[in-house]
Amino acid sequence: MTPAHSPGSPGSPRERVALAQAELLRALVADGTAPSGFDPDRLALQSRSLLAKRTRVMAAVRPDLAEALGERFRDLFHLYAKENPRPTGTGYRADSESFTTWLHTHHHLPRTPRRPRWRWPFSTPRTP
Amino acid sequence: MSTIPELGVGIGWREEIDLTVERLPGVDFVEVVAENLHAHDLPESLRLLRERGTPVIPHAVSLSLGGADPLEMSRVEHLGAIADIVGAPLVSDHVAFVRAGGLEAGHLMPVPRTRDALEVLCANVKQAQAALSVPLALENVAALLEWPGADLTEGEFLAELVERTDCWLLIDVANLHANSLNLGTDAQAFLDVIPLERLAYVHVAGGADEHGVYHDTHAHAVPAPVLELLGELCSRVRPPGVLLERDDAYPTDAELSGELASIRAVVEASR
Repeated sequence: MTPAHSPGSPGSPRERVALAQAELLRALVADGTAPSGFDPDRLALQSRSLLAKRTRVMAAVRPDLAEALGERFRDLFHLYAKENPRPTGTGYRADSESFTTWLHTHHHLPRTPRRPRWRWPFSTPRTP
Repeated sequence: MSTIPELGVGIGWREEIDLTVERLPGVDFVEVVAENLHAHDLPESLRLLRERGTPVIPHAVSLSLGGADPLEMSRVEHLGAIADIVGAPLVSDHVAFVRAGGLEAGHLMPVPRTRDALEVLCANVKQAQAALSVPLALENVAALLEWPGADLTEGEFLAELVERTDCWLLIDVANLHANSLNLGTDAQAFLDVIPLERLAYVHVAGGADEHGVYHDTHAHAVPAPVLELLGELCSRVRPPGVLLERDDAYPTDAELSGELASIRAVVEASR
């Protein structure tokens, strides 16, 4: 099969790159299949790395949730994250609210209001 | 043509180490993550550093300049507003994409080193430059995976980016070290081919090996090979600035001070 981003594919360069980048991200953070030409081990490594970072950020943004869930925090967040990739434009504040709702919906936490401790707009334990 | 002033040796300013950054000796300049700041509500610590005359460089992590999505001008404008408020000599972001197909990656993803991707990157960079009043420097990222079908090496890709957009380079020697270990990037060839006269400043950071993969954590001490790469770079060109990045597991002031001294020693040894 021809990869979506091969130069001979139809469309503009931007359209071809868009397809390739979307295909890769779907495979890394959502339920997409592995795009052709990539090393499957490296895809898995990158996917784990992105999930680990998102988990660290969530624990930093909402230490109250990490504390309330204790040892269950990591596994529950991973379950949530796999079902809920972060849509474009969604910051960590919105992600934490979405995670909280998910926890309540799935009865992992009682519905007691807690004071969020996020910072504007998505203060991440940062990046390269 | 714009120029980059002498910056010296600096450290990434972070809220968690604000007092440390203020009192450490030998901090000639700092870098701040632009997305973590409000233009109209700067932290006291940064105001103090500015009053002392310490240059502050806003560093963005979310422009997604290598992404095929249309550039979000509000993000560029925020970066520009932070630059104006701190009187920055330049700003920076990465050769990377952070979102695509309606999803956020949550980290800096490498772009394919293809002609198509270069064209998209250059168009985005030119659009960002047109909205900024200071020079824009772009950083090489650490990648865990390699795109198939590369037309260019990483060094060639950056060289052509500079050629076509007249941007500046922010070379992260820790990222170069990581790519050399994880992807087999030839660090010497990389340094041979990039336009060193367009080097704005250099990043240095720590990392750790985990299951045979080097992770650029910014949470560990700077390993010797990263300082050696800095030395290699400095033997070829005198960088206007060199900056230590530390983002987690903050060590004592003495340890950070020691790392800054090590960096300064490498820079001075090459002069």
